[in-house]
Amino acid sequence: MFLSMVKQSFMRGRRRKVLAVATIILASSLITALMNLSIGVGDKMAKEMKSYGANITVVPNSENISLDIDGVDFNPLKGRVFLDEKDLPRIKDIFWHNNIVGFAPFLKVAVEAAGADGPVSLLGTRFDRPLSLSEDEEFRIGVKAINPFWQVRGRWPDDGDPEGVLAGAALARRLHLDVGSRLTLSMPGRARPLTVAVRGILHTGGMEESYLVAPLPLVQGLAALPGKVQSVSVSALTVPEDRLSRRTRGGSDALDALEYDLWYCTAYVSAIAHQIEEVIPNSAVRPIWQVAASEGTVINKLQLLMLVVTVAVFIASGLGISSLMITTIMERSREIGLMKALGASEAEVQFLFLAESVIVGGIGGLLGCAAGGVLSQVIGLSIFGSTVGFHFIAVPVSVVVSVLIALAGSLMPARLISRLHPAEVLHGRK
Amino acid sequence: MGGSETSPMTNGRMFARILGASLKERRSRVSIAFFSIMIGAAVITALSCVYFDISTKMSRELRAYGANLFIGPKAESAARVLDARDVAEALSLLPPKNLIGASPYLYGVVRLDLGSAVLAGVDFAGLRRLSPYWQVDGRWIVVDFDGRSCMIGKALAKKMELKAGDAVTVTKSETGFHRKLVIKGVVETGQAEDERIFVNLALAGEILGQPGKVNHAMASVVSEGIDIDAVAAGVGARVAAVDARPIRRISYSEGRILEKIKGLMALIALIVLMVTTLCVMTTLIAIVAERTREIGLMKAIGADDRGIAVQFLSEALVISLAGIAAGLVAGFGLAQVLGQAVFGSAISFRAAALPATVVLSLLASVIAVALPLKLAVRVVPAQVLKED
Repeated sequence: MFLSMVKQSFMRGRRRKVLAVATIILASSLITALMNLSIGVGDKMAKEMKSYGANITVVPNSENISLDIDGVDFNPLKGRVFLDEKDLPRIKDIFWHNNIVGFAPFLKVAVEAAGADGPVSLLGTRFDRPLSLSEDEEFRIGVKAINPFWQVRGRWPDDGDPEGVLAGAALARRLHLDVGSRLTLSMPGRARPLTVAVRGILHTGGMEESYLVAPLPLVQGLAALPGKVQSVSVSALTVPEDRLSRRTRGGSDALDALEYDLWYCTAYVSAIAHQIEEVIPNSAVRPIWQVAASEGTVINKLQLLMLVVTVAVFIASGLGISSLMITTIMERSREIGLMKALGASEAEVQFLFLAESVIVGGIGGLLGCAAGGVLSQVIGLSIFGSTVGFHFIAVPVSVVVSVLIALAGSLMPARLISRLHPAEVLHGRK
Repeated sequence: MGGSETSPMTNGRMFARILGASLKERRSRVSIAFFSIMIGAAVITALSCVYFDISTKMSRELRAYGANLFIGPKAESAARVLDARDVAEALSLLPPKNLIGASPYLYGVVRLDLGSAVLAGVDFAGLRRLSPYWQVDGRWIVVDFDGRSCMIGKALAKKMELKAGDAVTVTKSETGFHRKLVIKGVVETGQAEDERIFVNLALAGEILGQPGKVNHAMASVVSEGIDIDAVAAGVGARVAAVDARPIRRISYSEGRILEKIKGLMALIALIVLMVTTLCVMTTLIAIVAERTREIGLMKAIGADDRGIAVQFLSEALVISLAGIAAGLVAGFGLAQVLGQAVFGSAISFRAAALPATVVLSLLASVIAVALPLKLAVRVVPAQVLKED
């Protein structure tokens, strides 16, 4: 009897039910989409934030203090320590290897350039070189990946180019260089002079504008330092710092075993730096806080923003659903009057309404989930150019919330309406 | 029939009476309609306010990345130092509302107890606002004229076996400077700062024998609403000795990030806008649809379709206008809650949010009323009244 009444209500008042379901679909799709986005926005923005450059730097573990001011080294003759280039692919072997977006090795030496009034800094690096890894064939090392803000007028030299270099914009102005210029470089007391050709003019807005930037092998050859690099910049996807990672500042000894595991297995910048230090022999790895700390600040802000917007929309759609449920129930007062006149109890009437709202809420919630999933993909694709991961937590939350809101919206009118006096309603006064 | 034959006066009075009675008698439905329009309008207002303000707000947040403007000697001149007055003049040319922080720098090599290091003279108050990312163990130096304190980079501290609270002797033989300085704090940035020792600019001038000179200055400027390239060029043109240029790494990335965030907010606002509008519509449709009987009765006693439509639409208009007005106020309040919760500052009201809310909400309610009404006025009175 009860089932057939529910069925009747759905069949006869079809338009009403369609409206209710439609509203709930709209609201729950919104909740799902925003929830998905607020969970995913951190990762997506972290990727965008990579345009600020590397957030970890690897240097040799040495006792020397650099006396470098504005790119001019006041202590160039002191014995230097280097990293071995062949060790670098191990950076992709650490626990968080998938979070390593890119890295680039650097080797900076001072050279004499014919026609220059003083020494010129020559920076050797990789530009865009494929690294053969078994599982990740796509990985490329070099500055193109980690420093997207480097701009070259002319063209980038190849990584194997024996004589192609980039001239920093400031240096080019000083030495009157342009694309195609040639100049002779020599190192006092080292190998034969080398003539290089300027392939492009480099704009970075930083120190590199006063350097010559060349493929790493060229610099290693000129400086007679085969296979050596001086520092490595690593760009890694990280999660913002929190209290746990801050406690490791003094060293990871501050944590107990359980906390240490948690820290080690979370993509904190300090944990990733620690893991790189483990795999690269004789290295000191430090987070570049300008990038790492600021990224955390900005991403936390964005996540908070998304969360607050989600909550606001959540409340608003909840109220929207409730007001619709109230209307759809109130308009059935005559029907209720009839039911009561035929002997239905208040509890039975209320139960009928609540059962109906659970069904409406469930259907609406499920369909809304699907619509919301699509919606979040549309947003992800159009803003970030990649899909947003669908978080299954959104499904139960959105269905349960839809049902709960539909129930909450029906509770008050159902109670009001079931108390009505049959004769009054049937007469049409209320 | 009735409508066309009665005088306009009685017609108007009748219309007003029906309208008033309808609003008064059906108080619960009217309040639901009012309420849902208000919520819709509030959400739309709040989100459009947030959207129009997001660039300004996030631009300020992105200043966490530190300096985005470099002020140094003209590239053509061989000079490595500037007069501090020139730098101060250049900094005063930056729009004060947009200037977050700035500090001059003066560098030199000094001898410490266990070896040489690069000493940097800075303005600590400005530097703290300029570089919020500095991880300081200990304290910042707060007084400008503090001649007995220093801050020291983490790598340097480790190699010189120093920590916050220790004293270090700074020696410069060329100027005969020899003094013990107390280390207030140990700095970690992961960059060159880790191997430097920092003192007040005035003290650095004394140590290095270059009082009143600086090597360069850095500034952090909110670039939203101004053209940072033009500002830099203007500074370079007004102060002859200096050259100002934006730090590309920061300004380029900031532009990209802001664009993303703005796009994201725009899409979210648009979708929320559409969905909320539809939500309000369904509620209004339900409210009008249940009045089919009433329409049948009105037709039976002689109302024409136009009269019914005008009456229903004006009812909707009254309710919507009241709902929108309340929604605008509530929405602006909601935007303030959002702004305080996320950015800790108020969100300014933009006039552009007004038309968006009013036009959309009005349009939604008129459509929501017109659609079911069009179906309802076609009913045959006898059929509805018999309740079929």
